[in-house]
Amino acid sequence: MSNTPRLVLDVRDVSKSVHGPEGRLDILDGVGLQVAEGESFAIVGASGSGKTTLLGLLAGLDTPSTGSIRLADHALESMDEEARADLRRRLVGFVFQSFHLLPALSAEENVMLPLELEGDTQARAKARAALEAVGLAARRRHYPAQLSGGEQQRVAIARAFVHGPRLLFADEPTGNLDQRTGHHVTDLLFALNRDHRTTLVLVTHDVQLAARCGRRIELQEGRVVAEARA
Amino acid sequence: MNLLRLALRNLRREWRLPELRTLAGSLLLAVLAMGVVATLAARVERGILASAAELIGGDIGISAPQTVPPAFVAEARRDGLAIAHAAGFPSVAFAHGHSQLLDVEATDDAYPLRGKLVLAAAGHERNGHGPAVGTVYLDHRALVALSLQPGDTLQLGGKELRIAAELVQQPDGGALVALAPRALMSLADAEQSGLLGIGSRAHHRLLLAGAPHAVQRWRTWAERQTLPQGAELVTPEQTQERMRTAFDRAGAFLHLTSLLAALLAGVAIALSSQRYARRKTPEVALLRALGTPHRRVLGLLLLTLAALALPTALIGALLTLGAAQLAWHFASVLFGGIPTELPLLPVLGAGMMGLAVLAGFALPPLLRLAEVAPVAVFRQSLARRVRRFDALYLLPALVALALIWSQSGSLKLAAILAASLAGVALVAALLASLLLWLARHVAPGAHPALRLGLAALARRRGLSVVQATALALGLTALLLLSVVAPALLDGWRRELPVDTPNWFALNLQDEQRNNFTHALARIGADQLNMMPLAVGKLTAINGRPVDDLHFSDPRAKESADRQLRLSWADALPPANLVVSGQWFGARPAQAEVSADRMWRDMFALKLGDTMSFDVGEGHIDAKVTSFRQVDWSSFRVNFFLLLDPAHAEALPHTWLASFHLPQGHAQAMAQLSRDYSNLSLVDVDDLLARIRQIVDRVGDAVRWILAFSLLAGALVLAASLAASAAERRHEAALLRTLGARRAQLRVAAACEFALLGLIAGLTAVLGSAGAGLWLGHAVFHIDNFVPPLAPLMLGALGCAFVVMLLGLAGTRKVVRTSPMRLLREG
Repeated sequence: MSNTPRLVLDVRDVSKSVHGPEGRLDILDGVGLQVAEGESFAIVGASGSGKTTLLGLLAGLDTPSTGSIRLADHALESMDEEARADLRRRLVGFVFQSFHLLPALSAEENVMLPLELEGDTQARAKARAALEAVGLAARRRHYPAQLSGGEQQRVAIARAFVHGPRLLFADEPTGNLDQRTGHHVTDLLFALNRDHRTTLVLVTHDVQLAARCGRRIELQEGRVVAEARA
Repeated sequence: MNLLRLALRNLRREWRLPELRTLAGSLLLAVLAMGVVATLAARVERGILASAAELIGGDIGISAPQTVPPAFVAEARRDGLAIAHAAGFPSVAFAHGHSQLLDVEATDDAYPLRGKLVLAAAGHERNGHGPAVGTVYLDHRALVALSLQPGDTLQLGGKELRIAAELVQQPDGGALVALAPRALMSLADAEQSGLLGIGSRAHHRLLLAGAPHAVQRWRTWAERQTLPQGAELVTPEQTQERMRTAFDRAGAFLHLTSLLAALLAGVAIALSSQRYARRKTPEVALLRALGTPHRRVLGLLLLTLAALALPTALIGALLTLGAAQLAWHFASVLFGGIPTELPLLPVLGAGMMGLAVLAGFALPPLLRLAEVAPVAVFRQSLARRVRRFDALYLLPALVALALIWSQSGSLKLAAILAASLAGVALVAALLASLLLWLARHVAPGAHPALRLGLAALARRRGLSVVQATALALGLTALLLLSVVAPALLDGWRRELPVDTPNWFALNLQDEQRNNFTHALARIGADQLNMMPLAVGKLTAINGRPVDDLHFSDPRAKESADRQLRLSWADALPPANLVVSGQWFGARPAQAEVSADRMWRDMFALKLGDTMSFDVGEGHIDAKVTSFRQVDWSSFRVNFFLLLDPAHAEALPHTWLASFHLPQGHAQAMAQLSRDYSNLSLVDVDDLLARIRQIVDRVGDAVRWILAFSLLAGALVLAASLAASAAERRHEAALLRTLGARRAQLRVAAACEFALLGLIAGLTAVLGSAGAGLWLGHAVFHIDNFVPPLAPLMLGALGCAFVVMLLGLAGTRKVVRTSPMRLLREG
């Protein structure tokens, strides 16, 4: 029996091009990477290097022009958008730079959202537990406008973890936060990653944050130019 | 930099924003809807007036007991108007040993200038003009009464005339009531035979027709002249009283439809400007944070709006001209042959009103937008601080009121509509708030799709309330137009059932009553109603001779000089309502009289006054004990003055009978006329036919205008639903990222819009039924009008369904939003 951890992401020779007013634009060119279950993985690079596009492709939000991506043994390129949405609902969580909480819903209701999409009848209880895990049990009835940036991001993290995803994608999770709050949020992210054995894929400019990940790659003009382990 | 240049640059950049396009589109739609409806309404109204001209036989005229002075003819010539002369008089015709009193009209060959003179000969009908010298046209009753046919000859005014054709239909001076069988002869023959000479009872008419401005010029001139004794101007507006009611109602219907279209447009503008203001908030906060003074921000916003609005309104006005022409092309079949030029005033008015509506509905959010605190650049929540009461938001209400006032043409109509729509807005807002409260408190246990739909409504709390209110207002307008207006028209039509009395018999004597009743029954007449008729004169009020009294109302003197028709009845006749005082008791001690409200106002009468009448050799002093409101549009015999029977029976009187006789009984009526030679038999079939025709024409016109208003309404609904499109796209992207299926989003959207539609639909049913009930009684005076509740409920459900479909259609794109959008937004 092999001890090799299972691959949760297997990306081979992925390219993405778009057609703009000035002709074809190659955003990603021949990207290949593998991420094992429970691993933390950072994608770094300058603005415009293709980080966000790659994250979108890995999470099945978009499809590559060429190449293949397997997410938990599902070949994304052979799935339609509906099937990919299904997969995301079951296996994937997201944390965004701008939090993307719905302003008219309370913290608890925001966290309930992914569970409600699955028709989970225990949505409220699970949401409360998730908020407790991020230290916001007392603020579950507050609305996003009544929360600080750090608190909003913690709610977003609770939402990302609440349905027990196998993979968590984070796009510049500390980009809108001060250093201290950013640290708190990062600690939380890594703690949950560890406790839930969730695979964490994050995109960041922050070298320190990237350094906390088990592995990282650097993108430049759509190509992987460096790969390192912690 | 020049502020205007900045505004133009701003507009060029922002033109791609959907809400700005929606704003422009709404304004365009507003101008187009108001313009097309107003133009069509103006033309239809003009067409209806032209129908009245058909009745007169010209656009305007003078009616006089003697020849019309030449100055009036000369002025008409100077104004380039077409001229026709006519004279009407009674005369006896002889043929084959029979004699018959005829209602003769002598005309020149220009007659008629408007309307149709329909003749029949050898089995063919044709349109014609006044008869040639030596010929005459007789109507069917005259031909039957004299046993003649076209081609035969008869003696009239001492001349032998050949019957050139049967007279089928003629414009008849607005009287529409044929006392006797009719004949049309040449004016030259009448003059030659001395029928129009001194002492004749002929009534002369000068008829004129031409371009509207020329007719108006002549009318203005004529109104300044002193008319000969007994002469009066004959205008389309002054046609017979019952026709007036028909025209007035027609006008009210058309104004109602055009007004509702205008309000629908206002709702669309309000929604899109709100959305624009919301979109602009961060930008304004940034400008303010960068140090732009409040005044400059406001100037920039207003100039941007003006730069958008003025060209849009102009384009709207131009498109209206084209669309109105096209609409008329289809609608003109209703008023075939009546020349109506394209009126420019309604188009100009629509453009101005569109701008006023834009200003009224778009300014409040923009003015508040300019006040956004610079600190909002850091925290958006600060920009949305809503005041509990914002007086600025009274502006759209005021503009709506002004619009209602200017478009309705009637204070009462305006008040009813304004009150109904305000009620609808209030109820819709309350219902929507209640639903949102329920969403928060009850929803957790609901079906997931419903829960998501409710959550979507709750997410846009303010917008949801505004949307429900706007939809309810729009749907109320549509239900009023599509269900209530046709029901009102039906109610109007039912007032003239097929068995409405179409004949009147005057001068029936007491001893003839029984035989006449049996004779009528034999020929198949029904709905017989008889009332006594005494002809007298008002001599004094409270003992003071009327000649000594001064009345401020000029009609009072005229009525006092004329012979009065008096009647009496035990019970209050149908179509009469006592508005003050008491109807006669059994055998009052003193003679009593009940007067119509018009008489009360004309003579400033009070309850308890004594009116004195001379009737033949008799005299009666009667105390005024009640005032009545009489529905003069009902085809019943009605009287301004009714006496109590106990005292009036002794007065010399005859009887007046009304009855219904199906058409095709000319022979029997001719025989009846011969058997009762003292009777005057009056045929009002023509009048009834005319009124039915007007009801039908209005019905057709309202349907046309309704089609445009429905289109405007549907577009406005779509625009209002588009107001939340941007937020929806963002949410859809988030939900898709979290793994929501398209079907889930669709079902949630269907629930959301169905709930919105249901609130709006239910409120609209209440509102339109209430407004319909109110309008039916207060404006259209249709007795016992009940709005059709079943079609209204069906309409409301249909509306909810359509709102759901429109909502789903509107969210089709949203559901397909790429989840990548969220990552790109950061």
